[in-house]
Amino acid sequence: MKDLKHLLYFENLLLNADNELVEKAKEDGKICVAFVCENIPEPLLNVGNAFSVRLRAPRTDSMEISTYYMTSFLCEYSRALLERAIEGGYNFTDCIMAPDGCTMINRCVENMELLKALGTDKDKFFYSNMEIPLKADENGKELYVLQCKNHILAPLHDTYGIDTSDAAIRKAVEEHNKVCRLIRAIGDYRKGDKPRITGYEFHVLTLATYVAPKYLLIDKLEETLEELKTRRPEKKDYRARVVVVGSEVDDSDFIKLIEDTGAYVCADRFCYGSIPGRDPIELTDDEDALTQVCSQYMYRCQCPRMMNMEKVYGRKQFVNDLAKEYNADGIIYEQVKFCDPWAYERTMGSTMLRDDFGYPVLSVDRPYNINSSVGQMRTRVQAFVESIEIKKIRGGAK
Amino acid sequence: MVVKAENYNRPGDKELGVLFDGGKVRKRREWRGLKDTLYDYGRWLHIMGILAKFIAKPRNIKAMFRYRWMANYLATPHMIDKFTMGLRDEPLRIVHTSMDFVVYDVASTLDNIFRGDRRTGNDVEYSKKCVLSDENAMTAFMMGFPTVHAILREVPCMFVANLLTQYSSTHYLDVAQQAGIPGDVCPMPEAEAGTSIDDDFAVLGCCAVQVNTTCDGSLMGNGIIAKRLEREYGIPTFQLIAPMRHREPDVQKYAAEDMKKAIAFVEEHSGEKWDWTAYFESAKRVNDATRKRMAWLEINSTPYPQFVGAPFSLYNDTNYMGNCGRSKLFPPVDAKLLKLAQQGYEAKRMMAPEYRHRCIVWGVQPQYCIDMLNWMVHCWGVVPLTDMLSMINTKMIAEEDTPENRDQAYYDMAWLNENMIMRNRTHGGYKVLVNELWEFCDMMHADMVMMWEHMSCKALDGMHGQFEEQARERGIHLVWVCHDLCDPRVYTRQAIRNQFNDYMRTVMREEPLDPSIETLPDENAW
Repeated sequence: MKDLKHLLYFENLLLNADNELVEKAKEDGKICVAFVCENIPEPLLNVGNAFSVRLRAPRTDSMEISTYYMTSFLCEYSRALLERAIEGGYNFTDCIMAPDGCTMINRCVENMELLKALGTDKDKFFYSNMEIPLKADENGKELYVLQCKNHILAPLHDTYGIDTSDAAIRKAVEEHNKVCRLIRAIGDYRKGDKPRITGYEFHVLTLATYVAPKYLLIDKLEETLEELKTRRPEKKDYRARVVVVGSEVDDSDFIKLIEDTGAYVCADRFCYGSIPGRDPIELTDDEDALTQVCSQYMYRCQCPRMMNMEKVYGRKQFVNDLAKEYNADGIIYEQVKFCDPWAYERTMGSTMLRDDFGYPVLSVDRPYNINSSVGQMRTRVQAFVESIEIKKIRGGAK
Repeated sequence: MVVKAENYNRPGDKELGVLFDGGKVRKRREWRGLKDTLYDYGRWLHIMGILAKFIAKPRNIKAMFRYRWMANYLATPHMIDKFTMGLRDEPLRIVHTSMDFVVYDVASTLDNIFRGDRRTGNDVEYSKKCVLSDENAMTAFMMGFPTVHAILREVPCMFVANLLTQYSSTHYLDVAQQAGIPGDVCPMPEAEAGTSIDDDFAVLGCCAVQVNTTCDGSLMGNGIIAKRLEREYGIPTFQLIAPMRHREPDVQKYAAEDMKKAIAFVEEHSGEKWDWTAYFESAKRVNDATRKRMAWLEINSTPYPQFVGAPFSLYNDTNYMGNCGRSKLFPPVDAKLLKLAQQGYEAKRMMAPEYRHRCIVWGVQPQYCIDMLNWMVHCWGVVPLTDMLSMINTKMIAEEDTPENRDQAYYDMAWLNENMIMRNRTHGGYKVLVNELWEFCDMMHADMVMMWEHMSCKALDGMHGQFEEQARERGIHLVWVCHDLCDPRVYTRQAIRNQFNDYMRTVMREEPLDPSIETLPDENAW
């Protein structure tokens, strides 16, 4: 396919945490709110004069200092973030919001705090830790709302004078939804037999929406959507359509690697992906916006830390539904190495999707930066793709 | 800091290394002088009596052949000997009083499990009045159900079994890893998941209540176990919440509300109603246990600590979590232990000729090298004053039955649940894990911290650098001792002890008090 007009632009945004749009927003006088987990309702970080940046550490190489602080057994994502923070790579931020989502990301941010790794020369810089629900129910919703009030909205308002009113939340949701709908519309081009966008390209666009101020992305996303309407798909068929499911992936090279083997990543059910991260939030006038935002984040959450069995079974059903909707041939369950929640979820998910739903499943762990282990991963994905092809040739069950 | 015993003369064996010859069991029993040898032998017979009573029941013999992990219980008397090595007088009696009662408690748990187990005893009516609970869970939600039995099914399979024989978990770890769980997660929940995958848990109960206990691994392992319980055995499960940031006031209501739901769930499935009288009686016993534990800690903060080491932690674990005030049998044992500790303190009783260092033991202990704390006293004169697992709740809960206290009770149960052993330190932010350690060092007059670095415990590992730097700033000797909790294939027992030996020789430049046990040939031992 012909390159997307703005692909290079979006790719360049991903080269540094402190990208040009973040700089532009800062020049506009906006407050940069860093966050580290999908369980923090993103629109709440974009109220009033604030904009959110989800932290990542592109082009990570050595993690020696963070390994000293957190040992080599913590997940590479949390170590990479701490390493980058110690290097001063996040000093553009004005505060950081961290949920107690998983132990490792919690320890990562605590180390940042103890080492005063962020907020150099910023008097008002603050760290905020919050509890998030472990089950999706009304009690959890009540907690979520309270925590967001106490640990997101109140500090933003008290420290930076940011407007956190219901109207401000509704406005932030509107902007958030605009981006979500664009991403969803773009993502729908993955559904057909002849998709007009690759999984890699789509991941680049999606990632950009997490790490750059949304209002500065909208025009280029709209242009890209227009471009896709007339874009000619590849003539040749892909060898296998796969859904990627798992822990955070902010390294588009991982998706590229999968697609380089001839597979097509038709759906992205991972942290930093579009499903469910880019589901629009539907607000009504019957209830305050904060409660509705929290409710929708909680009930749609696919993070394995949600421990009630409805959620445990529901996550596998969700992947099955997704695979049907996107006409997938197989599923890749991935986990960033040393991630405990996804270590178990990957095991259970891959077993259930294989045994209960009948899909071919590849279950892998991977480094944070895939370029440190390309050969091993490529071999495993190639073998998986070949096995799907053989099944197709033999006409076996899906 | 150094405390030397006046006229220390340990009757009987002087060099403890003579007891080891590389076999499964020791070469011979320890000679402790006539009086203490007779006492110890009497207690040994008592343990054998408990085992004989247990094994006399046909269902328990059947279980011995059905469940792989049951074979570990043949090593029970040997396990007690690990904790009594080198001890005389009150310290010997304290260990026996506490650990023998733990043995009794575990034997009762096993007996109850097999009574209701569908594969062995199959007492259906009894099983209907049993609620399965997690190994690391605080059974506070059962305090008001005097006629329903809380069955901590995972305790005898995994936790205790690994105290008895070091290789007890390796089979289940292999099973879990063959199923796809990576080898870098905490081996405790992994072994429990492996037991479930292997279908080697007893099957009983009207329902199960799971808790996100100590770590992400524990939380996640529950899903695997619950799936089998629900889908294969038709045992409904409830997931009870213990908030992560448990010291924060704005999470307490959330926890209390979920506690109410857990109780309603048990009521629904057991058919029994919550009994407030029973609850407040249990609450009184919880408070009594808290007072006693604080008194033991106070004695341990003096130059003559008495109730120390792994028995201190294991007894607290049994009393607080498994029992949680429900049994009337614990308070008399608590009282006896306090009396012995006071006697020992007044007599200035010491376990070794000198105490060179006063040590706080932090981090998560390795199950298969559980006797190391006793070894530290005898080999190096390092006295373990307390450990992370014993530094739990100090708050008194409401114990009078009033309308206000009935509301408060849900918050109290939630608080106990949140502050269960280990998780009250591994969750809740760095302040409860790191900052409070230094406060305990001041409180207990410690100059050394022995840091169990359980390599797969992400919560502890995540603060590695902070411990290191802050200990240095405070001038506290920090001894890292790495292990893999219940997998001796990763770190052997001697590899664990060697880390301590190396520190004492190279950093402290000290010689052992008893060189005969610096290296112990116990790699093949149970």
